Amino acid sequence: MRLTSHLSLNLRRTGDVSVVRARGDIDLSTLAEAMAALDTAREGAGALFLDLRDLDFMDTSGLRLIIEEQRRAAAAGYRFAVVRGSRKVQRLFEIAGFAATDELFVEAPPPPTGGGDPA
Amino acid sequence: MLLGETVARLLEFVVPVFADVATLDTISPEGDFRRIGSRVEGPGREELERALLRRRPVPEAPVGLPRALASAQSNLIERVSDDNLRALAADEADFELLRALELRSAVFVPLRARGRTVGALACGVGTSGREYGEADLRFAEVLSARLALALDNAGLSAAVSGLEQRLEATLTNLAEAVLVREPGGPIVFANPAAARLLGLASAAEVVSATAEQLMGLFDVFDERGLPLRLDDLPSTHAGRGVQARPMLVRNVIRSTGEQRWLLHKATPVFDAEGQPVLVVNVIEDLTEVKRAELAQRLLAEAGHALSSSLDYRDTLQQVAELAVPGLADWCAVLVRGDDGVIEQVAEAGVGEHAVAAEVIGTGDAKLLAGVLTVPLAIAGQPAIGALSLAIAESGRQFDETDLVLARELGHRVAMAIENARLYAERSLIATTLQRSLLPPELPDIPGFRLAGFYQAAGEQNDVGGDFYDVFEVPGGWMVVVGDVAGRGAEAAALTSLSRYTLRTAGKLLGDPIAALEQLNAALREQPGLSLVSVCCVLLRGADGDAVADLVLAGHPPPLHLRQGVPRPVGVFAPFLGAYERGEWTPVTLGLEPGDQLVLYTDGVLDTVGERERFGEERLIETLRDAAGPAEAVARIEEAVGRFAEGPQVDDTAVIVVERLADS
Repeated sequence: MRLTSHLSLNLRRTGDVSVVRARGDIDLSTLAEAMAALDTAREGAGALFLDLRDLDFMDTSGLRLIIEEQRRAAAAGYRFAVVRGSRKVQRLFEIAGFAATDELFVEAPPPPTGGGDPA
Repeated sequence: MLLGETVARLLEFVVPVFADVATLDTISPEGDFRRIGSRVEGPGREELERALLRRRPVPEAPVGLPRALASAQSNLIERVSDDNLRALAADEADFELLRALELRSAVFVPLRARGRTVGALACGVGTSGREYGEADLRFAEVLSARLALALDNAGLSAAVSGLEQRLEATLTNLAEAVLVREPGGPIVFANPAAARLLGLASAAEVVSATAEQLMGLFDVFDERGLPLRLDDLPSTHAGRGVQARPMLVRNVIRSTGEQRWLLHKATPVFDAEGQPVLVVNVIEDLTEVKRAELAQRLLAEAGHALSSSLDYRDTLQQVAELAVPGLADWCAVLVRGDDGVIEQVAEAGVGEHAVAAEVIGTGDAKLLAGVLTVPLAIAGQPAIGALSLAIAESGRQFDETDLVLARELGHRVAMAIENARLYAERSLIATTLQRSLLPPELPDIPGFRLAGFYQAAGEQNDVGGDFYDVFEVPGGWMVVVGDVAGRGAEAAALTSLSRYTLRTAGKLLGDPIAALEQLNAALREQPGLSLVSVCCVLLRGADGDAVADLVLAGHPPPLHLRQGVPRPVGVFAPFLGAYERGEWTPVTLGLEPGDQLVLYTDGVLDTVGERERFGEERLIETLRDAAGPAEAVARIEEAVGRFAEGPQVDDTAVIVVERLADS
């Protein structure tokens, strides 16, 4: 028996706000799927949220994906934010030098009905 | 025309002996009426003959020819009257023509042979002063019986000769060579294509030659290259009454050396007793088709041989052997080495040496019929060698088609050699690179003890994205452990960049943060996002006070073991290569004798087990009370090995340093 990596992704779109919810693991073996989901979600989005609340595990490859999205958002002018995950997941951000209060993180994704996004 | 002659002769017989005027008509089996002859005796004959020849009898006339044909019975007009003439005439002009004949009497007789009316004879007298009576009618009937037979035979032979003519026309224009011979005997017919095929000036020349003489003009071989004699050919079998299978032969004209591929087909013709009386040979020239087939096959087989192995000396020998004897009697491949020396790397067939041996043996000079040399070259690049082909024994000659084929072969050989070279080069580069990326030997640091462990994930178990390094710097020693995000060749390249940048910067600057800043800048210059996490420790020891300055960049914290208790140390900071500027914070640790510092990569923590990952807690527990670096490393290796389920995706690197007691 073996712990296997698996990732399920869900994309919700409201207006120009995209929310990608990740369940499972983002690691080397599931990286491609995660990238593909972000590619789709990013198209025509004014704001992109990556919801990590249901994420079990992430390694440096996932971190790299997030740092890359950060750069892309800064260059293209859309908002990119990560919905805080479990303590284990957030530890990874900590090791990578992200402050807990870094503006990258939000507590929850914007509600489906639109309106302002919660900090 | 056979028929024309017969008609003329018949009418000469009839006129003037029996008649002054006569016309002869044929009726075809389909009922078509045709006037085939007319003869008139006396002045103005040509004009009257022509007029009569053009004339057609009026079908409904109750007298004369029409009546004879309709009733299939002869009839006589003893005294030709104007009324008769009017009945027979089509119009006034026709009436005048008939009157001009000055007919006094006339007989009209259907010609019947083999049960059908084959024609009609009309005879008339007048200008000679004679008259016809019943006796003349009888005579005319007897005469016409003979005439009918003669006409019928002539008609048949006309039909046959017409057939013959068509056949001859067909055979003359046929592209295939047709030869008809008597079994074991002379050739009785040949068409112009046959003459061309045999290299003779005309079909007549062919007919006058014997089969043996003709065979003597050529060397004939079967598909495998074995020589053939006349007895082996289908023609001889057919001559014995046996239907032989078509045979493909390679035919070389002795006088010119020209080579053709010919398909021989032979069919016997039997007489009434079932004996073969003739053999019909049809010879088809398949040279173009066959050569195209052979060329394709040669190129395909050469392609297989060339791609079967990278040892091109071996494969080139195979190619040379393929070219003989199909393309030439001898083939050699020469290659120019990097030193400029041209070397023969493959040879097949009867070549210079064999020829030289023969010349020495016989004392006679020998002239090789042809040598064809093509470059081994790929478009746009200088030639790397040559392919030589020669004709020695077989008496053949090279032509344009051979040149094209040889060039194509040379091109493919050149590509194969080039590929082999590139592969060898790449292999060498890969091997050299790999060697440079392997974890270094751990040096002896005075006052410290080291142990390390490295495990690359995946199939290429030599090189991964993790690295460690230990090197002396001004003021101390640096120990680094790092992790490149990603896998494969790109990651390996970054691994190399990272190790050497840190080493160089460290040796120059002697400061961990400065070294990290250098690497950060170098990574920022890379195309795309290149992230590397590093833990960098500077060991300084002066007079019994050993310290470690440690800096983390996107890396999990090393564990400081004091009296067996592991404790994570360090301040988290961003990955290298992520941001333009980073704040990396050093932590200075006093190291007492027996203190250990365990540096590792996240591959340890992320190791996949049955239900979960290895994790930091488990690592801490594993290291508790470890007695020294070697034991610490062994414990980690064993614990991770035991814990891991299935193949792991991330690399693992561990390096442990212990401060030794002062001696």
